[in-house]
Amino acid sequence: MKDNNIDNIIELSNELRWQIGDEFHDNLTESIYADAADIVKDSVTTQDGEKRFRLDSKIDKIVTSKIWGFPIMFLILGTVLWLTIVGANYPSSLLASLLLDTVHPLLQSGANSVNMPWWLAGFLIDGVYLAVAWVIAVMLPPMAIFFPMFTLLEDFGYLPRVAFNLDSLFNKSGAHGKQALTMSMGFGCNAAGVVATRIIDSPRERLIAIITNNFSLCNGRWPTQILIATIFIGAVVPESLSSLASLLAVISVAVLGMAFMFGVSWALSKTVLKGEVSTFNLELPPYRPPRFWKTIYTSLIDRTLIVLWRAIVFAAPAGAVIWLISNVHVGDETIAAFLINGMDGFGFLLGLNGVILLAYIVAIPANEIVIPTILMLTVMVTGIGGGAGAGVMFELDSINATGDILRAGGWTLLTAVNLMLFSLLHNPCSTTIYTIYKETNSVKWTVVASIMPVILGFVVTFLVAQVWRLLF
Amino acid sequence: MENYSPLLALSIFFIVVALLYVLFRPTKGWFWIIRKAFESSEKVIIEDVLKQLYHFETSNNRVDMKTLVQILDFKNTDIVEAVKKMTINDLIYSESDVLKLTEEGRDYALRIVRVHRLWERYLADKTGIHKKEWHDRAESMEHRLSHDEADELAAHLGHPKFDPHGDPIPTKTGKMASVHGVELPLLPVGSVGKITHIEDEPEVIYKQILAEHIYMGSLLKVIENNSTRIVFESEGEEFKLAPIVAANLTVALIEKEVVIEDNIARLSSLKEDETAKIIGISKENRGESRRRLLDLGFVKGSNVSIDLLNPLGDPNAYLIKGTSIALRKDQASKILIKKD
Repeated sequence: MKDNNIDNIIELSNELRWQIGDEFHDNLTESIYADAADIVKDSVTTQDGEKRFRLDSKIDKIVTSKIWGFPIMFLILGTVLWLTIVGANYPSSLLASLLLDTVHPLLQSGANSVNMPWWLAGFLIDGVYLAVAWVIAVMLPPMAIFFPMFTLLEDFGYLPRVAFNLDSLFNKSGAHGKQALTMSMGFGCNAAGVVATRIIDSPRERLIAIITNNFSLCNGRWPTQILIATIFIGAVVPESLSSLASLLAVISVAVLGMAFMFGVSWALSKTVLKGEVSTFNLELPPYRPPRFWKTIYTSLIDRTLIVLWRAIVFAAPAGAVIWLISNVHVGDETIAAFLINGMDGFGFLLGLNGVILLAYIVAIPANEIVIPTILMLTVMVTGIGGGAGAGVMFELDSINATGDILRAGGWTLLTAVNLMLFSLLHNPCSTTIYTIYKETNSVKWTVVASIMPVILGFVVTFLVAQVWRLLF
Repeated sequence: MENYSPLLALSIFFIVVALLYVLFRPTKGWFWIIRKAFESSEKVIIEDVLKQLYHFETSNNRVDMKTLVQILDFKNTDIVEAVKKMTINDLIYSESDVLKLTEEGRDYALRIVRVHRLWERYLADKTGIHKKEWHDRAESMEHRLSHDEADELAAHLGHPKFDPHGDPIPTKTGKMASVHGVELPLLPVGSVGKITHIEDEPEVIYKQILAEHIYMGSLLKVIENNSTRIVFESEGEEFKLAPIVAANLTVALIEKEVVIEDNIARLSSLKEDETAKIIGISKENRGESRRRLLDLGFVKGSNVSIDLLNPLGDPNAYLIKGTSIALRKDQASKILIKKD
């Protein structure tokens, strides 16, 4: 009897709901909003908001004007990037000389004096410690410079105007204007760029921004690009032009990355992401003087240290793996040599070589250790002098010496060009992959974001290699 | 590696790419076609026949075998086979060549229609799929959703009365709201009405209506009506349609003249230095994005003006409740205002 009553009531409620019609719910919500707005209008008074607003709109008129909007934007973002890349050199080399040139030998001799077995010392000091030290030395300074500057701009209120200016470009590829910001953030660090996509509240556009963030050349890859461009691209033009040529080469790779970002965004929004909900809106908050110290503090703690910690966690086992594959022998060759021989054919098809492919596999945890790993493996495989021993990553102070080692490893201009392309188009580092998983909570999108760039990288380098060999 | 040549490698690569393209290109790829062929089982044919008969019945048209075979996109023999089976199972019967639904057949047809329209509603409210695709997706979904799943979906959507085109959704018990209004070409000049239904078939005409940005629930006023074109004004814009296109719009006359506000325009038509009051948000803007706009203060009675024009033309920033909010043109066109 009782159950029957309940059923009747539910039936009646469904019936009534149906009679009221679809618009009822909307109308109710809207009238609540309208009432709330009325109450606010009557009871809240605003004081001297006018004056601030006038200053705001003056700034806005300039930074979003047809003439000045884009030059100002390029100037500011360019300055930030330049300060980061150039400014990070000094603290980086300081850290490197401390951690790599001073502490590392100290640890080695310390291990010797307590008679630690060679394999344990190699594994811990040459493998784990070296990778961690390397990541800290290369990664920390640029992030410590880039993130605070970026956060200051954000805090001041300028960045939303950049999103506003650029939105129609992103709209054409199905993305959100705020992706301009997460993309710029990606130039600092892709993991941080992925975290920054939280500012995009539309689900579809946010996924697009996450998946394509890897096309921003991050801090870990700038040094690789600059080094390779200086050695190989700079060498093909007269010496007076060489630094200009290598600079242009690096910039074109970064611009190519942006082109890929737009193209892939467009393709994603037309195919796999078609069904996701999209809501656009962009708030332009009033300008305010940035809270300097607070910003510095939070950007160092929230962004820099968290990202650095994740990188260290992933770099430590990578160092161990690098040391192990170069020291554990199967038959008469090391695992590394075995893998390199196995991948040489495929590498050749891509205009690369087995060493590079292996380096990119073991250096998934951090792009920073790609070049040291390549150098170590090249020395090991070719058997030329130099280097610091099997499994011990190293870098040379002299760019010429580095070039000599690479050329001895069979590198040509094609290898260099394709390495630069592959450095742009390959899977994100494991820190970023982990962050993508954290942010999307989806294995599917994490896999897409990780695999798609590698496939693109394979296709692009393959095509370049074949065309190059046909032409030259 | 011995017989490697870049030309060979390139040609293998392009052959593989071409193959993948032929197999997997959207909708026309062989893979999809083959998969679809597997799906078009007898059940699909029976359900499509029922649906067609139902639509003909509601529009008071008669169908014989010949027209049915012409309309449906299946092999003729399969259709004949299906019709035979349906007659045996008491879903349809024929009266001197004209095919008719039995009571049972009509029930079945209504269930299919219900799933189709519910699914369109779902696509409109809960996903970002473009309206062009709603119909086709619902066409394939209607054969896949079970009765219970349809009920669950209806509950999830809040038992909607109409699908996004304004077609009534039958309830579980087969009840259906009626659509008010007449086809647009039948309205005399000067009459005012509200669009209550936009027919989504045939596709060619529906696409034209979509391209014109004509929305469900918009008020309109007929300005000119003759055999070559129909001109009407809606939300501050003027639309010109051929009668054949206009016939796909159903418009309910509004009797009380007081209801209509003059000078209703779309926010997208606001010029710099003009101010306006918000009248409401078009029904075309649904779900998540509608709620977001309300959250931001785009509610009835708010004052709005242009804060910033974009250097690239889109989006513009609007000043609302003391905050500057940028909206894209297609969003602004769904917000109705009255200029001061």
